[in-house]
Amino acid sequence: MIPNDLLAMQSTKAMEYLIAVAFLLLFIPFWRFVNAKAVAERVVVSEVSRRLGRVLDWFLVPDQVYFHPGHAWARVGDGGLVTVGMDDFSQKLVGEVSAIRLPEVGARLGQGEKGWCLQSESKSIDMLSPVDGVVVAVNGQVVASPEKVNLDPYGDGWLLRVRAPRLAANLKQLLSGTLAKRWMEEVCENLRMMMDPDLGRVYQDGGLPIHGMARGLNPSRWDAVARTFFLT
Amino acid sequence: MNETVQRTVATRSWVTEELLMGLSPREYVRTLVTPWNIAAALVLLVGLPVIAYRFLYGLGAVTNLSQTNPWGLWIGLDVLCGVALAAGGYTLASSVYLFGLKEYYPLLRPAILTGFLGYFFVVVGLLVDLGQPWRIPYPVIYSYGVTSVMFLVAWHVFLYLTVQFLEFCPAILEWLGWRNIRRWVTRLTIGATVFGVILSTLHQSALGALFLMAPTRLHPLWYTPFIPIYFFISSIVAGLGMVIMESALSHKIFRDQIDPERHVELDAITLALGKAASVVLFTYLFLKLLGIADGGHWELLRTPFGHWFLVELLGFVLLPCFLFAHGVREKNVRLVRATAVLTVIGIIVNRLNVSIIAFNWDVPDRYVPSGMEVITSITIITLGILTFRWIVNRMPVLREHPEYRGVH
Amino acid sequence: MTVSRRGFLKIAGAAGTAGLVGRSKEARAAPPRRGSDETPAMLVDTTKCVGCRACEAACSEANRLPDPARAGEESLFAGKRTTDSRTYTVVNGYLSSGKDGTRPTFVKTQCMHCTQPACASACLVGALEKTPEGPVVYHADRCMGCRYCMVACPFGVPKFEYEKAVPYIQKCSFCIERLDQGKLPACAQVCPSGALQFGKRKELLEIAKSRIYQNPDRYVHHIYGEHEVGGTGWLYISQIPFEQLGFRADLGTRPYPEFTWPFLSAVPFVLMLWPPFLVGLYAFRKGKEETAQGTAGGEGVETRHE
Repeated sequence: MIPNDLLAMQSTKAMEYLIAVAFLLLFIPFWRFVNAKAVAERVVVSEVSRRLGRVLDWFLVPDQVYFHPGHAWARVGDGGLVTVGMDDFSQKLVGEVSAIRLPEVGARLGQGEKGWCLQSESKSIDMLSPVDGVVVAVNGQVVASPEKVNLDPYGDGWLLRVRAPRLAANLKQLLSGTLAKRWMEEVCENLRMMMDPDLGRVYQDGGLPIHGMARGLNPSRWDAVARTFFLT
Repeated sequence: MNETVQRTVATRSWVTEELLMGLSPREYVRTLVTPWNIAAALVLLVGLPVIAYRFLYGLGAVTNLSQTNPWGLWIGLDVLCGVALAAGGYTLASSVYLFGLKEYYPLLRPAILTGFLGYFFVVVGLLVDLGQPWRIPYPVIYSYGVTSVMFLVAWHVFLYLTVQFLEFCPAILEWLGWRNIRRWVTRLTIGATVFGVILSTLHQSALGALFLMAPTRLHPLWYTPFIPIYFFISSIVAGLGMVIMESALSHKIFRDQIDPERHVELDAITLALGKAASVVLFTYLFLKLLGIADGGHWELLRTPFGHWFLVELLGFVLLPCFLFAHGVREKNVRLVRATAVLTVIGIIVNRLNVSIIAFNWDVPDRYVPSGMEVITSITIITLGILTFRWIVNRMPVLREHPEYRGVH
Repeated sequence: MTVSRRGFLKIAGAAGTAGLVGRSKEARAAPPRRGSDETPAMLVDTTKCVGCRACEAACSEANRLPDPARAGEESLFAGKRTTDSRTYTVVNGYLSSGKDGTRPTFVKTQCMHCTQPACASACLVGALEKTPEGPVVYHADRCMGCRYCMVACPFGVPKFEYEKAVPYIQKCSFCIERLDQGKLPACAQVCPSGALQFGKRKELLEIAKSRIYQNPDRYVHHIYGEHEVGGTGWLYISQIPFEQLGFRADLGTRPYPEFTWPFLSAVPFVLMLWPPFLVGLYAFRKGKEETAQGTAGGEGVETRHE
C-alpha cells in the first residue's frame, strides 16, 4: 500500500533501498560460502604432500607423475631413467603390505604386463608395470620395510628404477595432470558404488577411507576386489 | 484367418509385456499385494465414496466451507500446493534445454512426468471443488472474463497441461513403439519447453495474484502487491526441492530400473540442485524483507500472527537456505535431501498460510477443514502417486528405452 | 463441399477469432467509467428507516424466494443477520445512545452494485457483469461455482448454494427486469418511510449532500459509498458513525479491479519478452557448443572408462 504521507514514504523507500543494498553486499560472501570447500575436505597428509600434489577427494594425485590405469606410477628422472611405484590409492586399497616381491636388476618389464607382486595376509596380488624397459635399480629399503609404501608411496616408497627406451611412446598411454585427476575421480565413484548400496553412506561422514579398504569391502575376498582395480 | 490369430497373439503379448510387465494376469495380481498398496487401497476405499457423496449432495454436506470462507483445503492444498510442487517440470526443462545444463538430463523425464501429473491432479482437485465442475471448459470455450486473474490461470493450466503432455509424449511414444509420430513430436520439444517456461512464470505468479483481490481478508504481513513475484520465486524453490526428493525416492524405489551410470551421477546433480536452491532461497528471503518494508507493518511482527510469519520466514526460508549451503559445501548429499523435504514443507506452509491460515485471519468464523475434506485431499494425492508409479513402471521414464538409447 | 486442410484451418481460425470478438462485444458492453454519474443508484437514509422490513418481504416476493425470517418480531434485531443463498436483503437494527436516546438505527444491506465491481472483475467467465443500466447482474448460465467472486467482494455479498448439488451464486440484482420496464426496484417501491430513494447517482449524491448540509446535527458528514472502493451504486447516510452500523471502515477508495490491473498489464509484456530471451539464450548456447566442438579435436579430453 502506498503510504499517504511523504514522511512515511521516505522511511519506507529508505528501508527498501537499505534491504536491496544489504542483499547485494551479502550475496558475494554467501556465494563464496556455498562454493567453498569445507575444512574436513582439506586432507592433512604427511610430509609427502611436499610434492604439491592436489588432494583429490581422498587420494593424492601429484603432478609430474604419470599413472597407469592399473594404479602404478612412473616419474621421469634424469638420463632417461624412470622411477616406478604404486600409487596412493593402491596402498590404501590393499592396506598393510607384509611383503613386496620386486623383479631383479636387469629384469625386463613390459608396459601393461606383470611388474611386481604384493603380499599381505598370505594373499598375493600382482600389479602391472607402467613402462617398458629394464630394471636398473630396486629399492632395497622397501623390500626390507614394506610399510614405506603405505607411508610415502610417491617418495620413499618408490619401487624400481627403470631404463625406458621407448619412454615417449609409453607416456602416451599413461595419464597425468588433469586427466589423471579425472580418472581418479572416476575410480572414487566406482569405489563408492561398491562401498555401500545406499549410496555414499561412508562418504557423507567426510572421513578418510580406512587402510585396507578392500578388506572393508569384502574381508574374505579382498584380493579379488584389489585385482579388479589393478587390472590383474 | 492366420493373420487375425497372429494379431490377437501380438496384442495379447503386448498387453502382457507392456501392461502387465511380462507377468500372467494371476502373477500380476499377486504382485499387487504389498503394504503400500493395501494402504492405498484403504484410502481409495474410504475416499472414493466420499467424493461420490460430495457430488451427490453438494459441497455443504462434505466441507466446512461457508459464506465467509469460500475457499478451503482443496484450493489451498490440492490446487495451490499442487501447482507449486509441480514446478519441477519447467525448472528442469529450462535447465536442460535452455540453459544447456545437459548433465541434468537424467532427471528431466521424471520431472516432466511429475509436472504433468501434478497439474493433472490439480485439475482433478478443481473438479471436486467447483460448484459445477462440468462447466470447467467454459473459460476456454464459452465465456471470457478477461479482466480476471482466474481467467489467466484457467487458460494457462489448460495450455500448460497440453505442453507438458507434449513434452512427455516421447516417452509414451517410445513405449508404444510409434517411431514416426515420436520423431515429429520431438521436434516440438524446444518450442514446447520455451512455451512451458513462459506459461509457468505467468501462472505460478497468477495464482498469487488471485489474492491481490483480498486486501482486507489477507493478513497485512502476507498481503503485498509482490505476492505474484513471491509465488513465482518460491515455485522455483518448490520445483528444485521436489526434483531432489522425487529423484532420491525414485532411485531408491525403482532402483532396478535405473541405468547404473545414473546412480552415480545423481549425487553430483543433487548437490548442484541444492546449490541453486540455496541461492534462490537467499534471494527470496530478501525479497520478503522488501515486502515487509513496503507494507510498513514491522510492528505486526510482534503479534501472534507475526510470530507465525517469522516461523515461516526463518524456519522455512532462512534455515533451508543455510542447510542447503552447508550441505553443498560439505558434499553432504543426505543433508541436501533432508533440506529439500524441509523446503517442500515450507512451500506447503506458505500456500496454506496465504489461502487458509492468514486468510480471514480476524474473522470470528474461522475455517478448519472437515474430516471429509482431508480424506478427499489424501485420496487425490494417492491417486496421483499411483498413476506416477504405474507409468514409471512401464514407460521409459527412469531408464532409456533400449531401442532409443542415446537418441536424445 | 471439399475443403483442403489449410482451408479448414483458415476458416476455423477466422471463425474462432470472430466468435471471440463477437461474443465479447455482445456479452460485455463497456462498463461505465469511474464515477459515472448517470447510472441508476439508491440512496438509503438510515435516519428514516423504521425497521418494518417491508423491503425484505417485497424482495422475496419479487424474486420468488422464501418468506423473510420471523416477520414482525422485534427480538429479531438482537442478533445480526446477513444475506444468504435465499435472502437477497436483510435489515439489521443497531442500538446506540445517540442524540435521540437509545433509538435503534436500522440498516438495510444488500449488494452494493459498485461502480467498478470486484466480483465482475474477478469472475473468470463473466458471470457477474456490471450493466450500463447500473446493476451488477449474475448470469447463471455461465457460472462454474469457483467462488472467486466471494473472495473478491469487499462486502461479502455473493452467497453460494452450498446445500445444493447444482449450486449457483445468489445476490440482489437491483431488480433489473423491473428497471427495464420502467418500474422501481421492489424494495424502493414498498418502502413506507422514504428511506429508500431511487434515482441517478449524481442526483442522489446532490440530494444526500444537501440533506447533510441542511441538517448538520442530524447526519454524520459522510456519504458511505460515494468514494468507497471507487464508488458504489447504493449510498448511505446516517446519524451514527458507520463503523458502529456494521460498515467496514477500512476499504479505501481504490476500485478493486485496480488491484490486479498492474499484474494483468505485465502479463502481455512477459508473454512477449520471454520468448526472444529464452530462444536467444538457447541459440547463443548452441552456437557456443558448435564452436567448441569444432576446435575440440586437438584437446583429447576424453577420460578413460576402464
